Amino acid sequence: MTVNTTAYVRSPSRTSAYLDWLQMLTGVALILFMWSHMILVASVNLGAGVMNALAAFLEATYMAQVGGPMVGCIFLLHFILAARKVPFRAEQQSTIWKLSRQLRHTDTYLWLIQATTAMIILIMGSIHMWTVLTDLPITAAKSAGRIQGGFWLVFYLILLPMVELHVGIGFYRIAVKWGFARRKDRKKFKRFENYLTAIFIAIGLITLIRFLLLKV
Amino acid sequence: METTFTDVLCIGAGLAGERVAIEAASAGFDAICLSIVPARRSHSSAAQGGMQAALGHCAMGDGDGPDVHFVDTVKGSDWGADQEVVRLFVERAPEAVREMAYWGIPWNRVVPGRSTYFKGGKEYEKVEATEKEGFITARDFGGTAKWRTCYTSDGTGHTLLYTMDNKVVQLGVTVHDRVEAIALIHDGETCTGAVARCLKTGKLRTYLAKATVIATGGYGRIYRETTNAVINDGGGAILALDTEVVPLGNPEAIQFHPTGIVPTNILVTEGCRGDGGTLLDVNEERFMHEYEPEKAELASRDVVSRWMTHHIRKGLGVKSPYGDYLWLDIRHLGEKHIKTKLREVEEICNNFLGIDPITQLIPVRPAQHYTMAGVRTNKDGAAYGLKGLFSDGEAACWDMHGLNRLGGNSLAETVVAGKIVGEKIVEFLKGYEVQYNTAVIRSAVTKQQERMKNLISGKNGTEDVYKVRNAMQGELMERVGIFRNGADLQKAVDNLQEIHGRAKKVGLRSNGAGANPELGLTLKIQGMVRLALCTAYAALQRTESRGCHAREDYEARNDRDWWNRTLATWKEGAELPTLDYEPATETVELPPGERGYGVCKIISCDGEVIGEDN
Amino acid sequence: MARRLKFNIFRYNPQDPDSSPHTDTFHLEETESMTLFIALNQIREEQDPSLQFDFCCRAGICGACAMMINGRPGLACHTLTKELPEEITLMPLPIFKLIGDLSVDTGTWFRSMYEKVESWVHTDKEFDPKAEEERMDNALAEEIYELERCIECGCCVAACGTANMRQDFVGAVAMNRIARFIMDPRDERTEREYFEIIGTDEGIFGCMGLLGCEDVCPKHLPLQDQLGILRRKMGWSAVKQLFKFGK
Ligand SMILES: Cc1cc2nc3c(=O)[nH]c(=O)nc-3n(C[C@H](O)[C@H](O)[C@H](O)COP(=O)(O)OP(=O)(O)OC[C@H]3O[C@@H](n4cnc5c(N)ncnc54)[C@H](O)[C@@H]3O)c2cc1C
Ligand code: HEM
Ligand code: HEM
Ligand code: SF4
Ligand code: F3S
Ligand code: FES
Repeated sequence: MTVNTTAYVRSPSRTSAYLDWLQMLTGVALILFMWSHMILVASVNLGAGVMNALAAFLEATYMAQVGGPMVGCIFLLHFILAARKVPFRAEQQSTIWKLSRQLRHTDTYLWLIQATTAMIILIMGSIHMWTVLTDLPITAAKSAGRIQGGFWLVFYLILLPMVELHVGIGFYRIAVKWGFARRKDRKKFKRFENYLTAIFIAIGLITLIRFLLLKV
Repeated sequence: METTFTDVLCIGAGLAGERVAIEAASAGFDAICLSIVPARRSHSSAAQGGMQAALGHCAMGDGDGPDVHFVDTVKGSDWGADQEVVRLFVERAPEAVREMAYWGIPWNRVVPGRSTYFKGGKEYEKVEATEKEGFITARDFGGTAKWRTCYTSDGTGHTLLYTMDNKVVQLGVTVHDRVEAIALIHDGETCTGAVARCLKTGKLRTYLAKATVIATGGYGRIYRETTNAVINDGGGAILALDTEVVPLGNPEAIQFHPTGIVPTNILVTEGCRGDGGTLLDVNEERFMHEYEPEKAELASRDVVSRWMTHHIRKGLGVKSPYGDYLWLDIRHLGEKHIKTKLREVEEICNNFLGIDPITQLIPVRPAQHYTMAGVRTNKDGAAYGLKGLFSDGEAACWDMHGLNRLGGNSLAETVVAGKIVGEKIVEFLKGYEVQYNTAVIRSAVTKQQERMKNLISGKNGTEDVYKVRNAMQGELMERVGIFRNGADLQKAVDNLQEIHGRAKKVGLRSNGAGANPELGLTLKIQGMVRLALCTAYAALQRTESRGCHAREDYEARNDRDWWNRTLATWKEGAELPTLDYEPATETVELPPGERGYGVCKIISCDGEVIGEDN
Repeated sequence: MARRLKFNIFRYNPQDPDSSPHTDTFHLEETESMTLFIALNQIREEQDPSLQFDFCCRAGICGACAMMINGRPGLACHTLTKELPEEITLMPLPIFKLIGDLSVDTGTWFRSMYEKVESWVHTDKEFDPKAEEERMDNALAEEIYELERCIECGCCVAACGTANMRQDFVGAVAMNRIARFIMDPRDERTEREYFEIIGTDEGIFGCMGLLGCEDVCPKHLPLQDQLGILRRKMGWSAVKQLFKFGK
């Protein structure tokens, strides 16, 4: 008698691995985007003309029309992926809060900041993107108009530090999670990340002031 | 009541207990290990320096073999060992080391080429052979002719125990941790298991087994100053003593280790001296080479501890509120050596002394360390007196250590004896059936329940158990230590008898609910004082000096009258142990002679006196 | 001047129906080189003999005495009181099942961890008692030992936000254990087999890089580095398999 022994071998689920890759890659993509975004927006400091030219270039190459929604998608995807880690259950939330208060441990605090800013970014970021993308083209004048209106000024004053904190911490976190920053580099890396966050917030603030003062 | 049946019940999940369980499980028998703490916290994990096996791979171990190991061990024991057992042990030790390597120990290996090492504070050079590259290497330990101690940095016991427990998990051996055996179940002839207290719930349980193994380690905690873990308080030896039929071998044989740190008595390994560390006195001068020109710091432990005590008595110790001490100097070994081969030592110095051994001296003094004493077994590990009862490891008196154990020989003993005794138990179990006598079981259990009830209610009295324990520890420390004499020993026996009376009257101050720690100690205290009495009384009787047992009033080793082994049993209701004696060894491969270190004063078997005026 | 220390100690004996979780306060005169081991034993012997806590080696090498010391997990036996403020709060480790007061059941947790990660050398070779041992490079042996130094105290688990939120997360200690076996040539498990054990959200991909583990480990194991290496290794393993269908 012969027995067919080619049994079905279960292949291990690799989903977690892929999702983690995606979470990291979407994070990186968003970081890169935020840096480019900063170049675009901060270019107003060099003159309204420079920003307009950059915007026009993006428009002409359809980068704004296609890129915009794409960023929106990545943004959403990143949210969905990262949300797997965010404690939505009240019990988990209180556990982690209690723990980090007890521990007085910076990196655990940083994660809490990341998760909290994330929620704010989700809402404010979506509103912001909707507003800008449904009102193309981007021009320095339009932006300045919005900001001088007051509402958007307050809006950005909140969103800006949230985003920069989230991005900064995310950058550091990717480095340690994936072993780019080793034990001996950790301190240095963290300091670097702090400077980066501070510099970006500063540039952002200067930009906002510049918009405020820009003659429309 | 929870009752568990098994083929083999190992009381103890240290190296010795687990090794037996592995052997039994590999042969298809059920095995359960009990342990007071999770298996890997057993005190085996604290062993630092290494384990002896004559592999002869490293340059300084060249020419080593079981025969050399045999001679070192018998000399180390001051001829107190059973030579047949020593032979069995040395022949199987290399295989045991290799088997542990096969199971996953990251032994340090031979690195070929030139390197330097220290001896007596001086630097020497050695060349490791290229063809030996990658084989298991060894370091130097006290009392050995060759470098024979295999090691993993200074965490040898830790890696051994973790690897052993990995094997236990792989084989599916059950470990019931936080379960403490408090009495054996036996009818005076056969042992059929144990009554145990669960240290999670405080409830009693019974374990019924065909073969029961006492592998509970040493019991240094009957002394106040000891390197031992707090759980090493004699539970296993008490189990045996309480049977009235199973004897303890050589209860007077208690080893002091030269280098416990002051004041906590935490051990820093003999590897420190093996690797070239030196002992210094208050003037920061070496002294061991003056007493022991040949071996200096690396004489056997009993000898070094005695010279240190002697030197301190001469007023050359460093004064401190915790008493006088000496210095251990490893600074010259260098940062790299300390940071790779003596890491635990470095951490202990940093954490407990707040000093850096790379630049500073370590305060040390001898502290109780090892109990050569233990449940007397034959060479198969079967306990005298009860069928179905076995013992191995530090808990046993197998007896390869005699009156003094060599460093590195006890880790080796746990795995070698564990294997051999395991094999013998497997043989024993084949075709062996046992009748569980419910009357015997019930009476064993009821007796323990009664005891617990009485202790909780304070029926016997209200003595404070901690005070009784402290009094006992102090007594042994003061009068049954490194140097002993008749007057002090007599006084110790008298005082301990009085303490024994108090121990009978202890009662709980707390309510005893659940895993109450006070109840745990209270259940044991009487047994502990009895162990102390066995030690003191046997030491009083032994009117000679041998190994660790140094009598100031009988300085010679007396082979004519005392080349024997003490066997102590305790009859219920008695005030003192009953002492019997048996020849130290039936087989004599190496007749008694000089050790080559230590004071040489011997009364030989035919009454000749050697080295009288030395 | 000797300080008078104030201890706030968590108390609860689940075996005693009259007991409920609360905090007891004890006072002690500080003595020279006093550790929490000395202090707690003194409290038990002189003030409250029912106080439950665990010590074994009292030398920082067995891992029995981990507890929350002023909010942070650490080994009580090697904590000197002089490094702490006058008021000392002691709590049992979270996550592990409470036995009573400061004592928790680490044994059960760790045993199930060993079973999950199959913490032993997997090999098809037979042991030959007559043969010489297999050779190994000493540097490699030392590297393995570096990871083997873990004493399973549980501090890294207690300090991990992820483990505190998710009971099924295996913790840095398990990841370190796997890393140890990956490094060991005697273990013949394939990358894919390791992946099956640890390439999940309960394993390495659940770790959020909080590094509490790294910062509290009393043995200073290189947890951050090992977690990083493991994530990369497991990440690539998944990618490689994506392009190797049917195998
Ligand atoms: C600090 C130190 C360093 C050492 N260094 C070395 C060295 O470098 N080289 C060397 O060769 N030797 C060394 N030794 C000696 C050696 O470590 C021990 O002799 C050996 O490990 C003992 O192993 P064991 O299995 O017999 O006992 P242990 O490892 O002590 O195990 C005893 C087991 O019994 C259990 N147990 C005890 N009582 C009961 C009970 N009533 N009920 C249930 N379970 C119980 C315990 O929980 C534990 O699991 C050292 C010893 C110490 C103290
Ligand atoms: C422009 C917007 C965003 C950027 C640039 C960004 C960037 C990043 C980066 C780089 C990381 C680290 C990724 C990792 O650890 O693998 C990260 C993590 C995270 N992001 Fe965002 N993110 C953005 C928006 C959001 C939003 C909208 C949310 C909403 C929920 C969010 C939630 C999180 C969370 C919870 C984490 C932590 C995940 C973890 O540590 O595993 N992010 N983000
Ligand atoms: C493709 C999508 C996006 C486009 C086209 C875009 C465009 C712009 C423009 C034109 C401005 C200038 C202010 C204004 O016009 O109102 C601006 C500012 C800003 N945007 Fe965006 N943005 C996009 C996505 C995002 C996202 C995802 C975030 C973060 C979640 C973000 C955060 C900000 C912030 C914080 C500012 C204020 C900048 C500063 O102070 O320098 N934007 N963006
Ligand atoms: S990794 Fe460190 S903290 Fe975690 S269990 Fe091991 S020794 Fe303890
Ligand atoms: S704290 Fe926890 S989340 Fe990862 S880095 Fe350490 S395991
Ligand atoms: S008691 Fe062993 S580590 Fe603290």
